[in-house]
Amino acid sequence: MGESRRRLTLVAVAALAVGVLLGFGVGWLVPRLTAPGDDSAEAGFARDMSSHHAQAVEMALLAYRNGENPGVRQLGYDIATVQQAQIGVMQTWLRDWGLSPTGSRPRMAWMPDGQQSLENGLMPGMATPQQLEQLRNAKGRDFDVLFCQLMLRHHLGGIHMVDGVLSETSDGEVQGLAEGMKAGQTKEVKILQDLLTDLNAKPL
Amino acid sequence: MSTPQGGGGSRRPSVVSTGKKPAASKATPGTKATKAPVKTTGGKGQRKRIAPVKVSQGRAWGPIAVLAAVLLVALAIIGYASWYIYQGSITWDERANGIPGIVNFRKTQPNVLERNHQPGSLTYPMSPPVGGNHNQIWQNCMGDVYTAQIANEHAVHSLEHGAVWITYRPDLPADQVEKLASKVRGQEMMLMSPYPGLDAPISLQAWGYQLKVDNASDGRIDEFIKALRVNASLEEGAVCSGGITVTGTTPRDLQTGG
Repeated sequence: MGESRRRLTLVAVAALAVGVLLGFGVGWLVPRLTAPGDDSAEAGFARDMSSHHAQAVEMALLAYRNGENPGVRQLGYDIATVQQAQIGVMQTWLRDWGLSPTGSRPRMAWMPDGQQSLENGLMPGMATPQQLEQLRNAKGRDFDVLFCQLMLRHHLGGIHMVDGVLSETSDGEVQGLAEGMKAGQTKEVKILQDLLTDLNAKPL
Repeated sequence: MSTPQGGGGSRRPSVVSTGKKPAASKATPGTKATKAPVKTTGGKGQRKRIAPVKVSQGRAWGPIAVLAAVLLVALAIIGYASWYIYQGSITWDERANGIPGIVNFRKTQPNVLERNHQPGSLTYPMSPPVGGNHNQIWQNCMGDVYTAQIANEHAVHSLEHGAVWITYRPDLPADQVEKLASKVRGQEMMLMSPYPGLDAPISLQAWGYQLKVDNASDGRIDEFIKALRVNASLEEGAVCSGGITVTGTTPRDLQTGG
């Protein structure tokens, strides 16, 4: 009687141990196995949008420093701080997913039509090195106009990439940030268009 | 690949051991039936035992199969987990150190990797430099492809921010220069410039790391960039914009009174 009870206890403890281990293993693994992989749209977006944002920050900080129109300077401050913070979020995703900030596939390969949208290897809306050099050297109204023109194109390209990831992902975190980017940049597109009108200039 | 095989190997003993438990329990119903102390078994007991023994044998295989299946799944999970953990646990510096030919100055000469701001021209113990004191202004490294030499003192500051600096000997064929430039253009945390006097056709630098290769098609170039770009940063979150974009080997000092 004692022995059978002991055996029963042993079996129960063993079953419990196996159950706990299994539960622990599954609980530990599932978030890791469901995290986006190295070639996923989410990882591609996080990497490419970080690069895209980095250039926006560069241009926006030039606007904050060199803009003549107070609206241009204010918008520059807003874009630089928001997008640099978003870069931090996207870089943290990559780390949480156990991925490198640099991918193995070509730029924009995560988007269905992504690689056709590259111009001279640059992602949609990115300013060329020549345009950036021009912006660095521009002053006064010329600066304001060129900044608004370049940032308008940059935002439209960025929104295109956001639409790309929104059609590919079901990750709530990614969707949330992407939708926030789209809403914010769409609003800023309007501001940039209004600034160009005020400056008596046209989009590129 | 080898880890799941190991898991498969250890699968067998665990199934065998579960098999033993029901086998051992054959005796248990018998002892129950006799209602006698554990170790006493008599002739009466044997007679009564016959039916329960058969039943328990029949019953035993069900739990065994279930337990075996559960254990199989558990082992598969453990095997996959081990593989996955191994994959995910390779850190960026382990990846970097696994690149054949890479030189890790963080390990070999950590004392030369000081990181103070210092004006004027500075000398470095390796060429091109991979770290050390540097100018207050960094070289813009927003995927900038410089076609003329740049100052070490600015470039080292870019490395501190996490940039990978590609340098090439000026006699490198134009198609190879273009191949390198295509890895840099539009990619922030990258910069590239010619480097006269380089002892290899191409040299890659990240803070504390260097890799010299002969050809732009060398696969280790991409490995180096993947492992070290951004990851090698000593100032997490530091950017590559806002730096100096002029070329020339003489560093430019800030013109402020500070």
